[in-house]
Amino acid sequence: MAAVQETIDQVRKIDVDQYKYGFETLIDSITAPKGLDESTVRFISAKKGEPEWLLNWRLEAFTRWKAMTEPTWAKVHYPKIDFQDLYYYSAPKSTEGPKSLAEVDPELLETYKKLGIPLKEQEVLAGVQGSRVAVDAVFDSVSVVTTFKDELKKAGVIFCSISEAVREHPELVKKYLGSVVPQSDNFYASLNSAVFSDGSFVYVPPGVRCPMELSTYFRINAKQTGQFERTLIIADRGAYVSYLEGCTAPMRDEHQLHAAVVELVALDEAEIKYSTVQNWYPGDAQGKGGVYNFVTKRGDCRGHHSKISWTQVETGSAITWKYPSCILRGDYSRGEFYSIAVSNGYQQVDSGTKMIHLGKNSSSRIISKGIAAGYSQNTYRGLVSAHRKATNVRNFTNCDSLLIGDKCGAHTVPYIEAKNSSAHFEHEATTSKISDDMLFYCRQRGLSSEEAVALVVNGFVRDVLQQLPMEFMAESQKLIGISLEGSVG
Amino acid sequence: MNVAVMKTKAEQAISESFEAAAEKLPGTDVVRERRAQAIGAFSSLGLPHRRIEEWKYTDLRANVKEIFPAALDDAMPLTIAELIVALGPLAHVDAHRIVFVNGHHRAGLGDFADAAGFEVAALGELLATATEDVSADLVSTPEGGDAVETLNTAFVTDGAVVRVTEGASASKPLLIVFVRTGGSASSVAVRNFVTVEDGASATVIEAHVVLPGAAQDAQLNALTEVTVGNNAALHHAKVAVDEGKALHLTSCDVTLSADATYRNFQFSAGLGLARNGLNVIFEGEGGKIDLSGGYLARRAEHIDTTLVVDHAVPRCESRELFKGVLEDHGRGVFQGKIIVRPDAQKTDGKQMSQALMLSEDAEFDSKPELEIYADDVVCGHGTTVAELDPDLLFYCRSRGIPEKEARALMIESFIGEAIEKVENEQLRGALASYATQWLGRSSGR
Repeated sequence: MAAVQETIDQVRKIDVDQYKYGFETLIDSITAPKGLDESTVRFISAKKGEPEWLLNWRLEAFTRWKAMTEPTWAKVHYPKIDFQDLYYYSAPKSTEGPKSLAEVDPELLETYKKLGIPLKEQEVLAGVQGSRVAVDAVFDSVSVVTTFKDELKKAGVIFCSISEAVREHPELVKKYLGSVVPQSDNFYASLNSAVFSDGSFVYVPPGVRCPMELSTYFRINAKQTGQFERTLIIADRGAYVSYLEGCTAPMRDEHQLHAAVVELVALDEAEIKYSTVQNWYPGDAQGKGGVYNFVTKRGDCRGHHSKISWTQVETGSAITWKYPSCILRGDYSRGEFYSIAVSNGYQQVDSGTKMIHLGKNSSSRIISKGIAAGYSQNTYRGLVSAHRKATNVRNFTNCDSLLIGDKCGAHTVPYIEAKNSSAHFEHEATTSKISDDMLFYCRQRGLSSEEAVALVVNGFVRDVLQQLPMEFMAESQKLIGISLEGSVG
Repeated sequence: MNVAVMKTKAEQAISESFEAAAEKLPGTDVVRERRAQAIGAFSSLGLPHRRIEEWKYTDLRANVKEIFPAALDDAMPLTIAELIVALGPLAHVDAHRIVFVNGHHRAGLGDFADAAGFEVAALGELLATATEDVSADLVSTPEGGDAVETLNTAFVTDGAVVRVTEGASASKPLLIVFVRTGGSASSVAVRNFVTVEDGASATVIEAHVVLPGAAQDAQLNALTEVTVGNNAALHHAKVAVDEGKALHLTSCDVTLSADATYRNFQFSAGLGLARNGLNVIFEGEGGKIDLSGGYLARRAEHIDTTLVVDHAVPRCESRELFKGVLEDHGRGVFQGKIIVRPDAQKTDGKQMSQALMLSEDAEFDSKPELEIYADDVVCGHGTTVAELDPDLLFYCRSRGIPEKEARALMIESFIGEAIEKVENEQLRGALASYATQWLGRSSGR
């Protein structure tokens, strides 16, 4: 079955040449000298006034990175990146420690206004009464402002940029930084560990339910600059936090590099929801320009009954290389991964997840929808594994892909490794098998099987997506609406 | 990183073994040259290891410690009665027969002279008499062949060369038997060619069996090249039953022309370390394949099924169903890849792989892969792994069936679902009795 016309139209609406965040902000910046060597690492560390231990940590990562080679196993092709031809640090001049929003460069505020990101606390998203989102805005290499800090403080939640966390809460950063994604984890994670500039830090103390959504908005602005942010989120015993991440970049002819690391730690009975709307500039219709998005995201369900859920809506980037994973260490822990990846133009997506079951009775669910159009290549690559001692673990995986046009490709590369008999893994890629019972129920109530399938799959994704800010919501809903008709495994 | 890897002992032994055997291997100068090239290629490739994606779960470099001398003579006596013992339940399949003992054709045991529709010959004899061109074709490494196929080129001694003539419909199956016997472990390399000409149809069964009392250890490298012509049909089965320690490396390359039908069933039990490779390519529109199999592994046995189905042209249909039962430290590996090329519209591909784990230490690794470049296709794959359903077990027990029997019943029906795919009734029966025998030896958990 080929894709239906409605789907084709909807995908066209978010095609690469429709990119609306491609403007550039003209602002004075301080940059590090071009290229990467030990002095660059020292420069960044000094610029941020970091303590000795962190500098050493960075240098160790840099030493390891130098010995590594770029990974080539992903199904993406691009010319070799010249790591010496990049700026590793760029900060707007005016942000030397603004005390309040009033001191932030109006040019920057204008940028975020254009992007629809509310930075003033009294601003409420149009049409959403009572919904407030705390935002950490990261512009190139630095965090420009973090909203609602005081209110969060009252609840005991720490939400600030990671540079600030290094200054204010060194004990927490020292304890958790690199504990999920070590410095030597992979090529891009090591690079990030050496030169990471900013990012968000969240700590939710025991038993606290974070009173509002936390959100970080990343923007690459400067030319030839790599963005290397680092996010660290810790949910202590029984805590809950929902975190949103958004990203955009101006349209440029050359490629920009984005190599982020995200670490999540969930202790006993804690829950972290991490949602991403990835909308980096995908390049133009000829495949010129666009962001290389090489990201390492990993959550560690360290405590029993902990839960981490990743939701991602991927529409941007020339190349995406990203596998948000869960290490299900705690007994009865749970990992979830919901993904919608749409590729258009000459985009290449190689994304998926890893669910590593180490704890007894841990469970996970993977729902992935890939939609490829134009000349794009869209790959789902996932791993589900059960350790020998992880008894009674469960996994359900469903990945569907849809092709629009005959010049694109959709690929599925799942790895399933069960090392003990009580593991119960199911992997399927046929839409009709989502859950026959559910489908039957829906059809019995008069829905067509197409509507029923959409309802069932969207039911999984929707509750997380609905919590996204309005600006993201509109985009995501377009994607959700995409019919599953004509989808292939 | 381009660091030269130290050769393992086994890799070293392979090169030495070749030097010792080269003079005695069959074939003219051109064949000798091919073999020398192959061993040269092998020494730069080395044994496949886990860093090579296709061998991720079956690491020969780590697992093959020792290389047995190549079986160069066929001095081991074997009577018809012994052959029947070795064949076990397969002896009941009414078929023409060509028999190889330790990798060498044994004319006295065969029965294929009057096989209607078939033209059968032994590769070793062909190599002794064939022209240079024909020999060169017979001993070449398939395009894109890996280290194991390269080794086959270097060491191959014999095999069946089968042709089903145009329009013929062979009523009786052909059974190609490879018997392993003798008290000392040896290494055997064989190669078969099965060509089904336009409009013809036939059933070919490839059996790898062992005479009770033979050495526990053995190494086999078998390569089968299959060509199915326009509108032709081949039912192909491979049955490999051993005693739990043998190294069994096989690959089968199949090419289908327009409107051809190909069915393949693979049954494996008691193989120490097995790799069953199957590569199918559709070269003509309207082709249909059904690949299926069942495997049983216990102790530390390791059975790997690796498939590549290449839909290179439009309107072809592929079906795959593989089921495995794993006990003790048994390990099952399934890698199935379906490729749909850009122009292969209207492709219909379905793949299913299931494993049943009977013990805590069993392991199952699966990688069902799809690579799709055409938009008007239906492709699906599924993988499940689980232990016996306790609810079902309880149901059986509540109906008065003792636990042991209930378990056996459930396992039998699980594997039976795959065996059902075999169309030849006698073969189906033989496989079912192999499965029952295997279960009978089960530790009764």
